Amino acid sequence: MSDHQCYLLGEHAIAFVLETSNPSSNEQRRLFALTSTLMNLGAFFDVVPAKSSITVYLKTPQDHPIWIKRITTLWHECEMASFKPTTHRFTVKYGGDYGPDLSSLANTLSLPEKDLIELHASVTYQVEFLGFLPGFGYLGTLPNALQVPRKKTPRTRVPKGSVAIAQELTAIYPSSSPGGWHLLGICDTPLFNPSLQQPSLLMPGDHVQFIPSKGGLCSQ
Amino acid sequence: MLTVIKQGVLCSIQDTGRHGYRHLGVGQSGALDPIAVKLANLLLNNDLNEPVIEVTIGLAQFEFTASINFSITGGDLRAKLNGHPLYPGWRYFAESGDILSFSTSHNAQRAYLAVRGGFLIDNVLNAKSTDIQAQFGGYNGRALKMGDQLPFHADKTPLPHLGVKQPDYTNEVRVLKGPHCDKLPKGSFEHFLQTKWLVSDMNNRMGSRLTANNTVQHHATIASQAVHPGVIQYPPNGQPIVLLNDCQTTGGYPIIASVISADLRLFSQLGSQQSCKFIGVSVSQAHHAMKKLNSHLAQFALANNNNKE
Repeated sequence: MSDHQCYLLGEHAIAFVLETSNPSSNEQRRLFALTSTLMNLGAFFDVVPAKSSITVYLKTPQDHPIWIKRITTLWHECEMASFKPTTHRFTVKYGGDYGPDLSSLANTLSLPEKDLIELHASVTYQVEFLGFLPGFGYLGTLPNALQVPRKKTPRTRVPKGSVAIAQELTAIYPSSSPGGWHLLGICDTPLFNPSLQQPSLLMPGDHVQFIPSKGGLCSQ
Repeated sequence: MLTVIKQGVLCSIQDTGRHGYRHLGVGQSGALDPIAVKLANLLLNNDLNEPVIEVTIGLAQFEFTASINFSITGGDLRAKLNGHPLYPGWRYFAESGDILSFSTSHNAQRAYLAVRGGFLIDNVLNAKSTDIQAQFGGYNGRALKMGDQLPFHADKTPLPHLGVKQPDYTNEVRVLKGPHCDKLPKGSFEHFLQTKWLVSDMNNRMGSRLTANNTVQHHATIASQAVHPGVIQYPPNGQPIVLLNDCQTTGGYPIIASVISADLRLFSQLGSQQSCKFIGVSVSQAHHAMKKLNSHLAQFALANNNNKE
């Protein structure tokens, strides 16, 4: 049985979708390798990865049958392909006004705030894909002990730079927006600037590490 | 300049959209009716993609502070120049001090206003469209407000009167079958095609949520994947959402259908409580429909060129 489907979505898009919604680390690496191969072909308006899929936007929609075959072939060729991600290190001010949900979350999880911060900063995350807001990277995977559902009532305004968690993911809000994730801290690094040639700091597949700020309210 | 006297419900600078940045979470934006943008520009011998003002539900008023040829297209929001009625699909000439107003209408939601040479707006990420959610592009990354001044190069002389037939706005929307129908309860797609849907009050530039008396609820889930304008999501409550230009770049609801590119413009005029029906077509029929629209544009461009001295 095939591990994926590849189909036309609308007239202009081809979606390559894995059967599993939870790709193994090997499948994830292959997806990033395939994304980068497809981006380098220059044959598409856009190549949009998600957690377990890649969608390409065709410049010539009539060619869709050829591309459906070709993408499937490329997936098999990516078996051995390597993928070298860029690593970003972000300083985070945790807790207090910077992370208004930190103390209540520490309570819910029965963890001292200090341990919660250490746990959050203990993992190297990977940008699974970008979405929701320009430059908003979905970073996986959060340690099990920190996995909580989204907030029941979303905030109408999450400040720019907020470092947040929900379910198995963490993220940094590149701009202020409504949002339902739990806010742990603030990161001052700009993530998205539409006037730059390369507007997003994070790219699919990149690695991200969080470093608790010395000046942070809870990290002394 | 064009000065905004009354901002109305929602007026924004749009072109035919921002493409190539979905992988960074940047949506398409752009006019909900790209054909109306192109016709408005053709009427003024502009490049097809010059930015225009998309006027939503009227109640907006503008003052020209210099003379200019302009055109209006899209739905009939009862536009008036100094109180004299104007009609969509025509070009006109305004003198400095003239007042252009748009009102409400039962069967129209959006009109488009173009000026000769286009509004002078900077490109951001290869487009002049306003990304209202992310707050960049267009005029200061936001909807127009009272007092805003939109620059253009003034015209001394009026062009001859010229009109164009706009393709009809109907409420019969052609769709392609979506990829997740086999995950939904049996017969969901057929039910979707047979149902007379009503556009709910939750309709804006991000999408239109539809309701009906008889909906099919479900528990099907999919992993988030890339979505785009025209995709019709089918949430568990069975009330479809037609994604429009300001939609997010990924979504996690099953996709029951996609509106064909030629017909997505119809949603620019479907407002709250209006009904619509979906008709299933093949991919080649979808391509053919788009070709037909493009040849309508090409024929007008050709005729217009032949009329020029």
